[in-house]
Amino acid sequence: MPEVILRNLPFLLQGLALTLSLATLAAAGGTALGVVVAAVRYGGVKLAAPLLAAYVEFMRGTPLLIVLFICYFALPALLGYKASAFGAATLGFILFTGAYIAEDIRAGLAAVPKGQIEAGLASGLRPREVLRLIVLPQALRAAIPMLFNQYVRLVKFTSVASVIGVHELTGDAMLVNARDFAPITILATIAATYLVCCSLISLAGRLLYRRLGAPA
Amino acid sequence: MTYHFDFAPIWAHRDLLIAGLARTVAVSAVLVIALLLGIVVGTLAAARRRLWRFAATGAVEMTRNVPLLIHMYLWYVGLAFLRLPPFLCAVLGLAIYSAAYVAEIVRAGIAAVPHGQSESALALGLTRFRTLRFIVYPQALRIVAPSLASLFSQLIKDSSLASVITVSELSFAASAIESDTFRSFEIYITVALIYLMLVMAASRLVLLLPGAHRPLLRVRFADA
Repeated sequence: MPEVILRNLPFLLQGLALTLSLATLAAAGGTALGVVVAAVRYGGVKLAAPLLAAYVEFMRGTPLLIVLFICYFALPALLGYKASAFGAATLGFILFTGAYIAEDIRAGLAAVPKGQIEAGLASGLRPREVLRLIVLPQALRAAIPMLFNQYVRLVKFTSVASVIGVHELTGDAMLVNARDFAPITILATIAATYLVCCSLISLAGRLLYRRLGAPA
Repeated sequence: MTYHFDFAPIWAHRDLLIAGLARTVAVSAVLVIALLLGIVVGTLAAARRRLWRFAATGAVEMTRNVPLLIHMYLWYVGLAFLRLPPFLCAVLGLAIYSAAYVAEIVRAGIAAVPHGQSESALALGLTRFRTLRFIVYPQALRIVAPSLASLFSQLIKDSSLASVITVSELSFAASAIESDTFRSFEIYITVALIYLMLVMAASRLVLLLPGAHRPLLRVRFADA
């Protein structure tokens, strides 16, 4: 390994840890948010469903950078609180990824045959139980490949958090470069790191899908 | 809530926003480069020769799995000794990054055209190139048109990262206006809505490509 990387390894590993924790938090929060949003829209809840549809369209038509700016500068100004860069980034990534995941899960929900719902209702389950026990499990399984695509995107997108001052891998790498100036070595190293992380997530997604698959 | 909305300072800086919008549209025109590069690489990725396939797929995976910001830094910081202007760095980074996605779409599109089609074309005496040009590509384009539309909207949103390497496009203008007026909520919401309209227009624009009309699949706007 090049000397400049070895010397700054603890610092860069710290950045990697922050990248991974940001991605993990956002993946967990975004998936939870996406499932709820998709379920509410699927159920056609009055008032909530069209509002959430507007949220999804807004998020998917806005660049991540602007979403992060809104969470870091605009929302705190509007609501009068002080945001930390990491907190704002986490919120931004959850809101951003949640919208995409909601669409993926909606596609999964739409793929569940109507007959299953009718059969569930006919056998005496409540609508909520039909959703939770019959429809959602199948939709989630069908959505696994798309979900993992979103997770890969998320890991790459965490690099943008460096713009609002989160010291994740990219931000740290640019700091190291500012001090030791070895841009090609440093950029190649972190590019390879992202490559490995993303490939591992894709692989995990394929394995999980093969395991759970979509029986329907 | 004690926040007082005031859009007047935003309106006062409309010239900055318009200049930024023009620059964003200019950066987004790299779609053309990305399409050309992606079609070549995607066709190689669908080739019969294993060497071509491996090389093209490997290149696509390596490009796709690295964040766009790193692609831009690579040209702007990594190859700083070339002294390329920031605009060109953004164009190169965005074009190569998006070309990898185009290549993947093209590969999938070619694979979705039944084998019998190109086999019969070759049997009729068409050359390899003409088979692609007249038989495979037109059918593949119709299949992938919706994916291309969402790729274009993705590209427009991605172009916002050019602001990080000091290209004065829409997001850059937004930050400039924000630090000038401190109306952070108003300016970022305005810019977000401008992007939203741009993305909706763009995904409709792609479907005007010759031969892309009446796609086989349902179209979803602002996707990807």
